[in-house]
Amino acid sequence: MTVPHLMIWRHGKTGREVLLTLDAAGDATGYNGHVDLGTGIRTALGQIVAEELDLPPARVRMVLGHTGATPDQGPTIASETIQFAAEPLRRAAAQARALLGQLAAARLSVAAEELRAQNGRFLAGSGAGLDYATLLENQQIDAELDPQAPVKAPADYRIVGRASPRVDIPAKAVGAWTYVHDVRVPGMLHGHVIRPPYAGRDSGDFIGRSLLEVDEGSVSGMPGFVAVVRKGDFLGVVAEREGQARAIAEALKVRWALPPELPDMQDIAGTLRAMPSTPRLLRDQGDLAAAKARAGVWRKRSYSWPWQMHGAIGPSCAVADWSDGRLRLWSGTQNPHVLQGDLAQLMGLDPQAVEIIRHEAAGCFGRNCTDDVCGDAALLSRAVGRPVRVQLTREQEHLWEPKGAAQLMDVEGGLSPEGDFDGYEFETRYPSNLAPNLALLLTGVIDPAPRPSDMGDRTAIPPYRIPNLRVVAHDMAPIVRASWFRGVSAMPNTFAHECFIDEMAEAAGEDPVAFRLRHIDDPRTAELIRRTAEEGGWEPHVGARLRHEGEIAYGQGFAYATYVHGKFPGVAAAQAAWLVEVGVNRRTGEVSLSKILVGQDSGLMINPDGVRHQIHGNVVQSISRTLGEQISFDAIAVADKDWGSYPLARFEDLPAIRTLLMERPEEPPLGVGESASVPSAAAIANAIFDATGVRMRSLPFTPEKVKAALAEAPMPAALPAPARPRRGGWRALLAGAGAALAGSLAMGVVAMPLRPEIPRTQPPAASSWSAETLERGRQVFALGDCAVCHTAEGGVPLAGGRPLETGFGTIHSTNLTPDPETGLGSWSYPAFARAMREGISRDGRHLYPAFPYTAFARITEPDMQALYAYIQSLDPVRSAPLPAERMTFPTNLRPGMALWNRIWHRAQEFTPDPTKSDEWNRGAYLVEGAGHCAACHSPRNFAGAEKAGDVHLSGAVIDGWYAPPLDGTGPAPLRWSEADFYDYLRGGSARHGAAAGPMAPVVAELRELPEADIRAMAHYLASLDRAPDRAEPEPAALAAEANAALETPTDAAGRLFDRACGACHITGPVSFATAARAPLVFSSAVHAPGPQSLVRAILAGVPAPGGGQQMPAFGPVMSDEAITEIAAYLRRTLAPGKPAWGNLAEAVQAARAAR
Amino acid sequence: MELKVNGRNVSLDLPGHVTLLEALRNDLQLNGPKYGCGYAECGACTVLVDGQAARACVMPLSAVAGREVTTLEGLGTRAAPHPVQRAFIEMEGAQCGYCLNGMIMTVAALLMQEPQPDRDRIRRALRHNLCRCGTHQEILAAAERAVVLMAENAPEARG
Ligand code: FES
Ligand code: FES
Repeated sequence: MTVPHLMIWRHGKTGREVLLTLDAAGDATGYNGHVDLGTGIRTALGQIVAEELDLPPARVRMVLGHTGATPDQGPTIASETIQFAAEPLRRAAAQARALLGQLAAARLSVAAEELRAQNGRFLAGSGAGLDYATLLENQQIDAELDPQAPVKAPADYRIVGRASPRVDIPAKAVGAWTYVHDVRVPGMLHGHVIRPPYAGRDSGDFIGRSLLEVDEGSVSGMPGFVAVVRKGDFLGVVAEREGQARAIAEALKVRWALPPELPDMQDIAGTLRAMPSTPRLLRDQGDLAAAKARAGVWRKRSYSWPWQMHGAIGPSCAVADWSDGRLRLWSGTQNPHVLQGDLAQLMGLDPQAVEIIRHEAAGCFGRNCTDDVCGDAALLSRAVGRPVRVQLTREQEHLWEPKGAAQLMDVEGGLSPEGDFDGYEFETRYPSNLAPNLALLLTGVIDPAPRPSDMGDRTAIPPYRIPNLRVVAHDMAPIVRASWFRGVSAMPNTFAHECFIDEMAEAAGEDPVAFRLRHIDDPRTAELIRRTAEEGGWEPHVGARLRHEGEIAYGQGFAYATYVHGKFPGVAAAQAAWLVEVGVNRRTGEVSLSKILVGQDSGLMINPDGVRHQIHGNVVQSISRTLGEQISFDAIAVADKDWGSYPLARFEDLPAIRTLLMERPEEPPLGVGESASVPSAAAIANAIFDATGVRMRSLPFTPEKVKAALAEAPMPAALPAPARPRRGGWRALLAGAGAALAGSLAMGVVAMPLRPEIPRTQPPAASSWSAETLERGRQVFALGDCAVCHTAEGGVPLAGGRPLETGFGTIHSTNLTPDPETGLGSWSYPAFARAMREGISRDGRHLYPAFPYTAFARITEPDMQALYAYIQSLDPVRSAPLPAERMTFPTNLRPGMALWNRIWHRAQEFTPDPTKSDEWNRGAYLVEGAGHCAACHSPRNFAGAEKAGDVHLSGAVIDGWYAPPLDGTGPAPLRWSEADFYDYLRGGSARHGAAAGPMAPVVAELRELPEADIRAMAHYLASLDRAPDRAEPEPAALAAEANAALETPTDAAGRLFDRACGACHITGPVSFATAARAPLVFSSAVHAPGPQSLVRAILAGVPAPGGGQQMPAFGPVMSDEAITEIAAYLRRTLAPGKPAWGNLAEAVQAARAAR
Repeated sequence: MELKVNGRNVSLDLPGHVTLLEALRNDLQLNGPKYGCGYAECGACTVLVDGQAARACVMPLSAVAGREVTTLEGLGTRAAPHPVQRAFIEMEGAQCGYCLNGMIMTVAALLMQEPQPDRDRIRRALRHNLCRCGTHQEILAAAERAVVLMAENAPEARG
């Protein structure tokens, strides 16, 4: 860094605080303790400096929120930056310009007043000029801030008040911006935290004391492992790579105590009223009792607001570097100096030993996990002595971010006999606080006591003239972790005020806008209300107009608020008014917004474009919060873990937004970051009332809630009968009863001896086989999927030990490697061939038919020898002894298996059918022999033997998956053609979908087979079709109709599917390389007689043929209820002719338990 | 593992199960694609694979071997932004900008397939791209501007 030539500083909380510097080139750097939360503050502050300094904005750089470099100006909250935090900066810039002016005056020998400055240059009347760089040559000016330094009059502004392009977007648009997520430092490791089960809670005895046991040994051998770090309930792991850290964290065996239950989080009113609280009287004027006594109209109402998420799109991230007792932190914090103190406390350091370098993060609109993750990174870095980056997962961010608190507003009030708003009593309950840093709580550094907040009072005083008024805030501690969220408590408080006044207007028989205006004293406010109503096309009216067309009811709504923030009585930020038009679908309850105008008075606007964008952002976000957002909880914790369960508004939910910016250049600038959100919910509720006559008093206005409210209050005017949901023709094509295919499959490995033992021998040396033989053996080995069953999860390949569940008990696969003791290393070829063909182990014991010797018997002699050769050429691995088998009758008995074999098994090599082509015979050999397809795809009889004849390859349920028929009798709408079979076996997916479950490794193994063999298999399988000529629906039309149905969901389950699965499973205008390649309507899983395959695919995802997942496992983020809902929805939407699956919820639970 | 990223051949010594997103960000230092959810629900991680949009968070490396990946960085640079990037800069289609990568890449993928989409098609294309900052109006305006800029650029591109 070069030495500044001019510096303005002040004495601040942390000593000498630099506010502004100019370098040799005359370019300025401004320092501000507030940070840019994605609102464009960086640009606006730069404009202020540029204005006062008469520099082009491009020559001003801003440093924001770096503890070592910027002043401590408290947290960036409540839209205070422009209103307050910018002030010292503005003065510093003005002072710097004055100092430069003095230098110029001296150099040009004129009076300072005679100089004009422009674009970094002073000009004298004579035309002589000097630029800042020249003036600063050889200068070292160091001045303390003069807080009274004269600043420009707004009339002289040339930069402030004009649109100025955002300085950050050009870099962001090309990936050249460094967010905190993008910080990488040399030697950096990756950490991952494991959070306790009390997700999202931060008070109570159990906090910091619930971790019972950690088994480090369960992960210490995993790739990339560096450390497990534990302190109290703080638990994290460190690894070389990010993915490794996550895998280790997920595999770590941990035992936690379960926390006590939460109160009823659905019953916001009951729960908040029951919470201990301290009433705080905010206003008590007039005589409320007298007003009530004389009132013509008196109403009592309750309004409730749900818990909501800040929901930043980027989960929090931080990098910490601990060395020599100092901590450096790269952070996205909103509060650098508060965080500095917290981390100092956490680590037992002096705050000066903690340096916070602030980078931008994803817009979070209040407190999220950004500061928490800094504590995580700090603890992990100290434990390993290297820099550590911690990236929280989406799930962790959802569960643990301090929530926007629920709120309850109990209101009563009424009109004087003359119809004036005469009495109003308002009580508000807001269970929130500042959400102490999570690491401080988890490690037990601070006490997890309930900490009440006093932030429920924002905008609690109504903006209207009401002579008799009583306002009380009940201060209370949070129930779950909570903290400020855009609009803080003002948004719910205004929801109540503005809905209630709408009701008062109706009671007074007056137009709601006119009634408001009659109770407003401030002319500036009145003008905003009037102008917004005019511009927005307000239609004056009394009460609900109930206009409708068909099933859609239309209405207009209005609301207004001056956002009052900061400690009570607070300071006013910008004021905003909303005019909104809605359409309410009376059948479905869906509310759609057709028009929005937001009028806003922000005083002087530094950057009008920035103000407009802030309004748009507030509007979109508050619509989202009003119509759809509510956190759900289970008995002990927050339940929503992804964007499927917690919906955000999307493009199609949004109307065009118009803004009306009041021109007030002569007034001081007011914060604009939150104001436009504040009237939102009330405006929408009032519009719904105009449309339907129903008053919504509890957020969110979801279709389900609106529908229920409408049902309770039927529309007075007759409506046409609700239309039936359309049932398309394609659905009829899909109709057809699916017989339940049940099947139990006997599997097993080792029974008791019966046949003679074949003595151990030393197999021939690997070098005695030709490369050709080994290659052939490798292919047979792949075709037989040997590796799949003979490798335990996470175990050594081919060393066996995989448990196989069978209808008769659990057995384990054996070691296939040529280890002489535990594997096949002392097996002669005859012993091997006997096992393969007859199911008799070398020692003479019977093998259970889980080992598909019934199919392997068909393998030709040369192939069998090649297979033997290949196995003997593998590296030997010694395996642990297998657990004892516990089988049930009759398979646990020696004679049982012998008898079984005699009845069900014919050990015969494959014999070609001379009437068929070579390709067919080759295919049949591969499919029925080593490929052993029937082992899964044929039903089994009572004894666990594959059924033959008519039901050969006619489908079965195996291992909890549905193995569909291969004989053309499958339930899916499309036939399996030869080309389909080929695509599936070769590439892992066909028109019907991708290989999942047990088929995924099979297809992966088939990659080893030559092209001709795959073609032959496809040819043979296609020939099995029993009804090759049956009509099938036109695939494109079927897919399009199904897609249209999925794209326009009409119920909660459909919307859930759309949010969670739609990116890949609904086809839009953009084709996706990651999307599921086949439309779900073609998938056997949704048409199968049972839900097993579909449920398993949702829970476990779909693996990619070459490793990894092509569909992620949703088990970790979706509740059983959500999976049940989605499966039922897909069944009724995509297979409408087929019966609904019975016991779906139980099937989901069973499938999860089996994992 | 061999693949092509932003026109360069790269070879990665990583197991096939590693996500494309992790490899791009951590091994190739390409910060354009962002981690947002890991479940293909938000779009922040979008890249192009052989010219088609792809959510890199759910794409294992095994699925991109030998294929061509384009990230935000590969689309254009500060000095020479792609028309879609230029449109987003001009129309200020970002607040925090965390979703910006997904918006730009998805619009770019759309315009490659369909040069003249109307507003409704654009909305549908961006249906599964989330933005918490509520930048939707500016993003739509940027996408419409991109349609114009792409059309202006098209003759040059062909020539
Ligand atoms: S991070 Fe990939 S879609 Fe959200
Ligand atoms: S601009 Fe912040 S998430 Fe879209």
